[in-house]
Amino acid sequence: MSRYFTSLFVIFLCFSAFGQDKPIDLQPKDTIEYKQEYGLRVGIDLNRPLLSFLDEDYTGFEIVGDYRLTQKMYLAAELGNEEKTLFEDVGNSPLYNYTSSGSYIKLGIDMNTYENWYGMNNAITVGGRYAFSSFSQTLNEYTIFDSNRFFNPDGFLVGAQEGEEFSGRSASWLEFVLGLKAELFANIYVGMSARLGFLITNSEEERFPNLWIPGFNRITDGSNFGVSYNYSISYFIPLYKKSKKKKEEVPEEE
Amino acid sequence: MKKLIPILLLTFLIGYFASCEKDDICVDGDTPLLVIGFFDAIDTTLSKDVPALRIKEIILDSIVNTITDRSSSLDSIVIPLRIDATSTSFAFITNSADDAETEAETGDIDTLTINYESREAFVSKACGFVGNYDNLSITLPESDDNWIQDITIVQQTIENSTNIHVKIFH
Repeated sequence: MSRYFTSLFVIFLCFSAFGQDKPIDLQPKDTIEYKQEYGLRVGIDLNRPLLSFLDEDYTGFEIVGDYRLTQKMYLAAELGNEEKTLFEDVGNSPLYNYTSSGSYIKLGIDMNTYENWYGMNNAITVGGRYAFSSFSQTLNEYTIFDSNRFFNPDGFLVGAQEGEEFSGRSASWLEFVLGLKAELFANIYVGMSARLGFLITNSEEERFPNLWIPGFNRITDGSNFGVSYNYSISYFIPLYKKSKKKKEEVPEEE
Repeated sequence: MKKLIPILLLTFLIGYFASCEKDDICVDGDTPLLVIGFFDAIDTTLSKDVPALRIKEIILDSIVNTITDRSSSLDSIVIPLRIDATSTSFAFITNSADDAETEAETGDIDTLTINYESREAFVSKACGFVGNYDNLSITLPESDDNWIQDITIVQQTIENSTNIHVKIFH
């Protein structure tokens, strides 16, 4: 019985094929395919040089880059160097200040979640990075915190080993990245990103822990999370073109 | 645009949480004070108040600011130690009073020298460094009229002021 139906179905299929042999195409397809450009995008962070200029306790730069892998996926990386001096006080009494200085690299992917209109190349990306930083911390000046002022009525006692450098420190972390990129002029992009980092490894000693890591930013006591951001301007180097894969459309049955 | 809104919200949320820092106020530590408990010389488990106790630091020649001066109801006291030295000397005066005419001290003076090794310790981001003390020892010059009978060091390393470090029997 089922065999009978199957063969009947096959016969119908043949007929339908014949019927579709020369369809009257009321909406002829646009034969000009829009090809998407693939290539390398390189740029610099604008925020860090600006901060270097404005803040005398900070210098830094960052190179950003990404390489388009597929329609939505980009291989992304950041490379940077930062130096920052931070001060900690209690009330008006200085406690200590230190300089953290070093380089970092961040590698990962970005996924574009934005559906561009024809010819547009903007992006709203969600991505992840693995980041590694190698740096040193120098304890410039410090005092011994003592709420009893019997022996030192005028202020805290100055520490014995000022200017001590703690070199060879390293840290690695994972980053969750939210980013925006817009094509300002042809092949020139401006972007911004906000990053939430989660510290995985952090080499430190009891004598003076890591409090600020280049690329990661400030470390909060009792927390592995850190927040950073960047504003970038980048240039897109087109390497090849590839058309977007059409989604398989389900033919509507009439 | 529909996708932009949750992303922007999330960005603000991250910024919001990042701006709250719990470690801006120093609550985690301090340079500890030496805690001394006074006990009865006969029944050594019994704490015993010192009558009209006055404690003077020798070099500064001033009365310590951590106890009520000439109080008769103290069975334990806290005193500061010098961080930038390896010893601090105090005159422990019992039955402290001033002579009516000369204003000289009439109480019984025992001079204790507290020896230690001081060490800097990083406590937290908000507090920075504090002083800690190791290898505590106390010397009391031998004398027949000492009011202090015996001294026991309970704890040689001083990192906080929560318990008694030294017991003085009198």
